[in-house]
Parts: sequence; C-alpha cells; structure tokens
Amino acid sequence: MKKQSFIIALLASAFALFSCQDKDWETPESITTQPPYGNNSLVAGTTTTIAELQSKYAITISNGGSKQITDDLWLRCVVNGNDLGGNIYKQISVQDETGGIIIGINGTDQGAFLPVGQKLLIQLKDLYIGGYGQQSQIGSLYNGSIGRMEVGTWRQHVRLIMDNTEEAKAFGTMKVDTIDFDASKTMEQQCGRVVRLSNVTISGDGTQTIAPDDGTVALVSNCVNRTLSGGNAGSKCVLRSSPYADFKGIPLPKEPVTIYGIATYFKGTWQILARTQSDLTWVK
Amino acid sequence: MKMKHLLPVLALAAAPMSHAQTKATADVDTLSTAEKELIDDSNFTFTESQLGENDDMTSDVIHITSNSNTYLNQMGWAWSGIWFKYRGLDNRYNDVYMNGVQVNNPENGRFTFSTIGGMNDATRSKEDVSVFEANNYGFSNIGGSSNYNLRAGNMPSGHKITLTGSNRNYTLRGMYTYGSGLTKSGWAFFGTVGYRWANMKTAPIEGMFYNSLSYFISVQKVINDKHSLSIASWGSPTERATAGASTDEAYWLANDYHYNPYWGYQDGEKRASRVVNTFEPSVLLTWDFDINEKMKLTTSAFAKFGKYKSTKLYYSGTNPHPDYWKRFPSFNYNVWSDANSEKNDYDAFWTSHDNWQDESYRQINFDDLYFANTQLNKVGADAIYWIEARHNDNLMTNLSSSYDWNINKGLKLSAGLQLLSNRGSHYKTMEDLLGGENFHNTNTHLVGEYKQTAEEAMYDMNHGYQKIIEGDRFGYDYDIWNQDVKLWTCFSMDRGIQHNFITGRIGGRRMWREGFMKNGLFPNNSFGKSGIAHFLDGGLKAGSTINLGKGHVITAGIGYEIKAPNAVNAFICPEMNNDYVQDLRNEKVVSAELGYAISNKWIRFNLNGYYYYMHDGNESHQFFNDDSHSFTYNSLIGTKKEYYGVELGVRVLITKSLDLVALGTYSDNKYIENTVVNWMNSNTTKMNKDLCYNKGMREGGTPLAAASLGLNYHIKGWHLGLTGNYYDRIYLYYSPNMRYESTLMIRYNKKASEITEDDVPEQAKGNGGFMLNASIGKQFQVAHHPLTVNLQLSNLTNRRNITTGGYEQSRSNYNVTERLDDNNETTFVKGNERSYQFDKNPKKFYSQGLNFMLNVNYRF
Repeated sequence: MKKQSFIIALLASAFALFSCQDKDWETPESITTQPPYGNNSLVAGTTTTIAELQSKYAITISNGGSKQITDDLWLRCVVNGNDLGGNIYKQISVQDETGGIIIGINGTDQGAFLPVGQKLLIQLKDLYIGGYGQQSQIGSLYNGSIGRMEVGTWRQHVRLIMDNTEEAKAFGTMKVDTIDFDASKTMEQQCGRVVRLSNVTISGDGTQTIAPDDGTVALVSNCVNRTLSGGNAGSKCVLRSSPYADFKGIPLPKEPVTIYGIATYFKGTWQILARTQSDLTWVK
Repeated sequence: MKMKHLLPVLALAAAPMSHAQTKATADVDTLSTAEKELIDDSNFTFTESQLGENDDMTSDVIHITSNSNTYLNQMGWAWSGIWFKYRGLDNRYNDVYMNGVQVNNPENGRFTFSTIGGMNDATRSKEDVSVFEANNYGFSNIGGSSNYNLRAGNMPSGHKITLTGSNRNYTLRGMYTYGSGLTKSGWAFFGTVGYRWANMKTAPIEGMFYNSLSYFISVQKVINDKHSLSIASWGSPTERATAGASTDEAYWLANDYHYNPYWGYQDGEKRASRVVNTFEPSVLLTWDFDINEKMKLTTSAFAKFGKYKSTKLYYSGTNPHPDYWKRFPSFNYNVWSDANSEKNDYDAFWTSHDNWQDESYRQINFDDLYFANTQLNKVGADAIYWIEARHNDNLMTNLSSSYDWNINKGLKLSAGLQLLSNRGSHYKTMEDLLGGENFHNTNTHLVGEYKQTAEEAMYDMNHGYQKIIEGDRFGYDYDIWNQDVKLWTCFSMDRGIQHNFITGRIGGRRMWREGFMKNGLFPNNSFGKSGIAHFLDGGLKAGSTINLGKGHVITAGIGYEIKAPNAVNAFICPEMNNDYVQDLRNEKVVSAELGYAISNKWIRFNLNGYYYYMHDGNESHQFFNDDSHSFTYNSLIGTKKEYYGVELGVRVLITKSLDLVALGTYSDNKYIENTVVNWMNSNTTKMNKDLCYNKGMREGGTPLAAASLGLNYHIKGWHLGLTGNYYDRIYLYYSPNMRYESTLMIRYNKKASEITEDDVPEQAKGNGGFMLNASIGKQFQVAHHPLTVNLQLSNLTNRRNITTGGYEQSRSNYNVTERLDDNNETTFVKGNERSYQFDKNPKKFYSQGLNFMLNVNYRF
C-alpha cells in the first residue's frame, strides 16, 4: 500500500510539473510611456524652431556645407515622412509649425519606430546641420559634408513623446499638415513638408510602371525621376521614386492626377517623394 | 564473475552469423548490471540529450548497434557527443520497425528518435541489423534496420525508479517503470512514465529550456500456445527551446562557443523565439500467431497522430535577429582582404564590436519589436515583426504482416507485406503578432511588384485580402499524401562453413498534394489536388558469411536497390503550388561490403570495407535568399554519389577485469558529378534550370575520420571507463546555390562555357580534435534490492572548439543587380563587393565543454 501511494504521488508530481514554460506573452506596458526607442532621460532645455534653425545656419546650408551644432538647442517636431513605403531611404522628414527639415539616419524601419504623427524631442547639440544640394538636413559629418548619423547616435539624441503624456502638452497643436505645392516658394517654405500636387500629369507612355528596376528606365542616383507637368507642378518638378518602393510596380496613370509627397529640392529641381501608396491617389 | 559471462559471448561470436534477433541481448548479458545501466544511459544520452533536436540541420543520426561487430556495437555511443553519422548516411537510409511494422515517416524517410524519448525502459529491446544481415521483419536499408520489441511480455518485471541529473539538454529526469511480467493467466502489463526538465536558468546553453513528459503502456494477452495479442501506446509531449548556429565572429564577440541568437529579453525577462512543441501519440496492435513449431505469423497495425509545431521570429522589415550580418564589425571592415578597402570604416568596426559586448545588443530586443508594431498600429499598417509557427503534422497508418518459416535446420524463409498510408499536413499559423493589430495574408516579397491588395500578392485568393489574427493559418496550407505497398522476402541457408542469404523487395508508392490555399502567383495549380504520381521500386541483396574456423570469419554482401523518391523532394515548391519536380525519378543504390572478423577467448576483431554508389537521387533545398528578397526553392535532380570507407573495431580482454576497445573509421562520401538543378524564387513564377557544380562536395555535419581508444575496468561491482576519441575531416553542409553555374558566371563575370572546376569554392570545414570521456558506476544493495549509481563525464579536457555541425551561408560577397542584355532580356550582373565575406563566415555548432550525467536507479 505504501509502495502504491508513493508511486501515485510520484506520477501526480510528474504531471503537475508538466506545464508550459513558454508563457503567453503580453505587450510590455512600459513601452507606452517609456519607449525602448530613443533616450527617455532627455529633458528639453532651450527650444528652437525649424525656421530659426534654418535661419541660424542659412549660409552653411546654402553653401552646401555642414556645421556642428554647439549650442544647447532643442527641437520639438513631428514626423511627417519616413520609409514605411520603401521610397524614402534612411531619412525621415519632420516639421513643426514653422517649417520642415530632413534628418538623415543610417538605419531602416524608421517608418515603424517613427510613424507619421510621432512627436519628437531632439537634442541638437553635437549633431550636424548642413545643406544637401542646398536643402537643409540634420545628420552627421560624412566626407566633409552633411550625411546620415548612426542609429546609435540618433537614439541618444531623440526622445519619443507619447500621446497623453505630460511632455506631449508642450507640443500644443502641432500636427502634420499638408500644403499646396507652389513652385515659386522657397526651399525653407516647402522642403520637408507634405505637399499636394493637383491635376498633374506624370511623364511616361502609360504602359510603364512608376520605378522599374529592370534597366528600362535610367536611374538618377538610384531612383527614377518622372517629370510632373500641368496643374501646380511648375516647370521643374519630378516624382522621385525608388526601385525598392512598395509602389514601384504600379502602372503610371494616363490622366492627370493628384499626388501627395514630401517636397525636396536638388540643384534647381523640385523632387516629390511619395511616402506610401496612399499618396498616389489614382491607386485604388 | 566477468569472465563467466564474457567467454560464452566471445565464443558465440565465432559461430556463423545467423538471424540477428538471436543475438539481440547476448552482449548486454555479459556485462555487470552497473555497466548495463551505464550503456543504457549512454544510449539514452545518444538518442535524446544531444541528438535529433536541432532544427537548423539534419542532425538525426542513425542509431544501430550490433553484437557481432565491435565497431557497430560501440561507435554509436562512443561518438554520440559529436553527432557522428554512421557511414555519413542520412537518417532516411535507416529503417525503424516496431513489432515488425515500419515507422519511418514516408514523406522524408526519416525516423525521429526523440519521439520515443524518455521511455528507455520500454525501448531497450530491439533487434538491429546492418545492411547485409538477414532478418525476419524487412529488407534492410543501407544504413541498417532496427526492430523494437514492444510486447509487454518481453519487458522486465518489477518496479524501477530512475533519477538523473545532467547539464545537457535537460537538467533533471525522473522515470518510473513497472512491468508485471507474463502472469500465469497469460496477461502482461508494462508501463513507464518519465519527465525531463530544464529551464532557462539551468540549461547549459542560454535561452534554452526543455519540458517533456513521456509515457508508454503495453498490455499483452497470451491467449493460448498459438495466439497472442498485444497493444502498446506511447507518446512524448515535449516543449523545448532551440538554439541556432552562428559564425565564428559571433562566438568571438560573445566570448561563448554556445552563443545562441534565438533568444532575447522582453520586459526584462528572457524569451525564446524558437520553441518546438511535439506530440506524436502512437498506438500499435500486434497479433502473434505461432502456426506450428516452424512457422510464425506476426501481424501489426500501427497508427500515429503526430503534431509538430516550431515557432520562428519572422519579419517584413529589417532582419531583427541579433546575428544578422549587418550588425557585425566585419560588415564595416573587410578583415579578410584589401579588395574593397576604400569602404572600410574602422570606427564603425569598433563601434559594432563595442555594441556586441552588451548582451542586450547581441540578443533579440523583443521590446523594440513590440514597440515598432504598436507604433504601426497608429497608422493602420501591418505588423512587420511576428512569430509564426510552422506545423508539420502527420496521420500515419501502417499494416504489416510477416511470415517466418524455419524450413529445417539451417534453412529459413521469411516474407512480409507492408501497407502504409500517410497524410502530412503542412501549414503556418500566426503564433504571436508581437503587439500588432493588423496583418494580412500577403506575400510581402511581392509587394512592390504588385500593390499590397493585388490578387497576385495574395497567399489565398479564395479569401481575398485576408486579415490574419493570432491562431489563423496563413502563408501556406497543404497536405501531402503517401501510400505505399511493399512486399519482401528473405531466404537464408547454411551450407558447410557458409551461411548465405538472399533477400528482395518490390513496392509501389503513390503520392499527391492537396492545396487548401489558392496562391495568387499560381491560381490554377495551387488549390485542390495535384495529379497522382506513381512509382515502382524494389531491390535485391545477397550476403554470405564464411566461417574459416578458429574464430575467423569472412563476410560479404552485394545489393542493388531502386528507391522511390520521398515526397519531400518530389514537389518543386509545395508551399506554393502542386507542381512536381521535372524529371523526377527513382534513386538507384548499388551496395557492397566485405568484412573480416576474428573472435576468440581474448580478442574480438572486425574489419569492414564498404562501397555504395547512388545515382538518380533527388534533393531539395529551401532558404531565404537575401539577394532576391525571397525564398528560393531548389531541386537537385539526378545526383550521383559515392560512399566508401573502412571500419575497424577491436575489443581485447587484457585481464579478467580489464578490457580495451579500439575503434576507427576512415571514409568518404561525395558527389561524383555535377547536378542539374531547377530553382524558383517565391516572388516569381519563373522556373530556372541551372547546373550545380557540386562534384566533390561531401556530406556535412559528421567526421569522416574518427578513432577511439577506451579502457574498461570492472572489479567488485565497480565499473570504470576511460575513452579518448579523435575526430577529423568534418565538413559543413555546402551551399548549392553558391555553386550554381549562373552564380559562378556572375561571380567571375564569365560565360557558362568558361566556368571550370577551379572556379568552384572549396567546401567549408570544421575543426576536429580530441575528446576524453570517463565513466564510473557502482551497484549497491539497498533493502535487498539493487541500487545503481553511474556518473558519466564527457569532454574532460573541456575542448570547446570541436565543430559538431554547421553550414555555409547561401549568400554572395557582392551585390547582384539587374540589367537588360543585348536581347532585351533581364540579366544579373555583379555589383559592388561587400565588406562582409559570407564565404568566410559559415555558421557552426561547437561541442559542449565538460559535461556530466549522474544517474541513479533503484529496482524493487
């Protein structure tokens, strides 16, 4: 009897021990207030705006140079463009109520970590600002010019401000907004902003796709430039798309269409970067 | 005491070879209980605590032994620590039977030993035969065959408790076994239950755990002198985390030969990304009919309901695995050559190096992945990181009947029939969306070519742009059906000093695929049933044993076999469509072996040489091809290989208490001709025909040369053993696509006609080396019952740099870009050279350092 009880106890404990070790994992609560991306210890000092920053370094930017920011300056801004659609590469664009600017980051998946609408607090000190084709950009020094900063550097200099937190109040009503493209405006007024081009025609014979990677269209610095004309496109404006974009294989429209995208400027030409397929309004 | 048992066995060995089942337990009986337990536990170690549980590669090795051949008898557990493959053969060349019914999975031909893990006491009795030994249960495969006897009446009676501590796959093991023996009423019962456990704190490799319950129940009723019925059922529900191979650079940076990239931290807790859950409950019904003194009929019906699920972290964004090549220092600085030194970034090299010193950098950052997905929720985008579960379930039924007729002394006929049906169900489910709220059943590798909602990009057009939630099936969902019929016979005859046998088999196989998703790329040939493929196969084999007297024996055998292809190699890309591999054919195997043995009072010596020639083989490889951003499905057709080698086994009785065992093998196995290959990427419907320059490539993950020298000392109930093993010529699994003609043309910018064998990369090799093992055991009497204690210590010199397996990476050292050729066709050309040199960075596994297993058992 003793032996049987012992054996039953032994079997019972064996079955009791057999429970799953790989538990049902839940989303960590901490990530909603203390994001694992960025530097949560950053506390804003003297803040500046994008317009003030571009004005302060106007000469450096217009000369295509770069300069390290030595003042203890902080920028509150909101993400308005990223690589979610595979078209913008290793860059994000941010805006505040005064303007927009490109930030070069040597890493991918920024579209996931920094979605459109994400509020950022950036510690500018020690980062570089300069002109890439006379367009303002924040990043690091690369061969004497402005380049992308390493992800590690970026993460140390940025704090993601989550909605419904105390810090978010300082952003006031700042949000991503869209402006109608106007070729006559200055770079400071449009670059890094989401623009709308209405009733514009995209060059191509109607049978081609946006950005083929099979050699049928010559690449300009690894991208396909499609001339935009008509509507409010002005005289020198292109839709610039990467052969890695998620919408690269979409056929070009034959009729005039409305396009959204981030406005950039390079050597006299406006370049519009669609962010995702939804910026190409003819695609259903 | 030892001599009393040892001598009859040595004498027995001098006798002509007969059917192998007559020797099944003879050798074990020569050993003390302590040594017997030790060997049992070593076999246990062999099958469970080290082998068959690595999903990165084919590590399930053949597990056979023999009592007439010292080499076969000893090599299995002597070299278990390094995943030694018998004759370099894949496990599918070894047939496993239970009460006469074959239990290999017909889809891939393999038997997974871990499915009978934790039930050692139930699986102790088995009859092994090598390729040229006759038997009464089937046509032996070239890697030998084993038949487990699972009848309760055959099991030992009494209670037994076993407790084990180890620092291998598991930390603790407990087993309880009870056998009634055959009672006077003709009933016998046998049952065993076991539990094996390790958690992330105790497992020797970080990020691993092991959680396995095992049960085995067998009941037998001897109805009368002629009839007996038995039923056995077993299963081993197991949950375990797996470890991945990595590069030498990763091991150096982590300062750990067992660096495991498959785990990470979530909210401060360790989490494994790859967890395997298996449960294959099986039931076996056997009817033994002793027709008369000379005739016997054994009929068994087997059914298995196998469930196998393996999870994997996957992504549509940047590869989140910590050992992704772009995270290494050598991504920034070419440490191998000055070929592209202008790209070298010394600062980035050291930044990456310093990052690797931080554990959170060199392991998965689950918090980051959750954060990315929850951020994407805000813009309604699909999650880019998730954990998916790949399921390989199977429902297998097999009926066998074998007839055994001892016609008269020295003359015997056996014959049998096997009828098998197997449904393999293969599908993927969403295990964990890692905080994501959106996910669609879309081929993300195609997004870009087509818009995300396009029909072409749908994995299942029947469900449109389908939203997936956790638990849903996605990606692929199909069944593979196999139905086999086999007839075999074996005739053996003693004639003078000869014992001869001839055996043959003939069989038929049919197979088909049934798809449950209508793949957007293959709308007309992915949903529903494929055509049915039929194959006729068979073989013939003959062997002879010549007893020259005074313990000298010569053995010889020759065979020819035609083997139907396994379904796993029959479809070009079963995850996407119903298409069979073009020019699919039966594999042909020629086998021959010659052996010489001496057995006398003091020595048992075996020397064997073998040669296998296999042609018209089929192989399939599937991997994620970073160059094309898609999965690549590859089918090698008409492989030609040779396997040959010599094997030596010697056991010398030095004194009554001391014996010496020496083992050695030197072998080769390689492709002897380049192979035609068809390959296809998962983001296109285009089938590519190519030539794989794999001539000279060898089987990976096993030493092709190994030697062992051991001493065993037995005295007054003690057993002491010390064995030194040396391994050499260890090759890693070669990457076929790095040797495709099209790849070599791009790599060297040559035309096809200009490619020579000098252009083919050499196969990567691993490190061999010396390993020292020791064991000590003692049997005590406690309350008039035996208590046995054994301690096994492996790798006493703590050699951690011996390679136990690995594979070359299937990626080039340069970018590949597309362009239009003169005929306006898309062609691929070599782009920029990368700093990271994939061909210098194969992924490897290394031997565990000093490890132990302490085993205590008590019979009562």
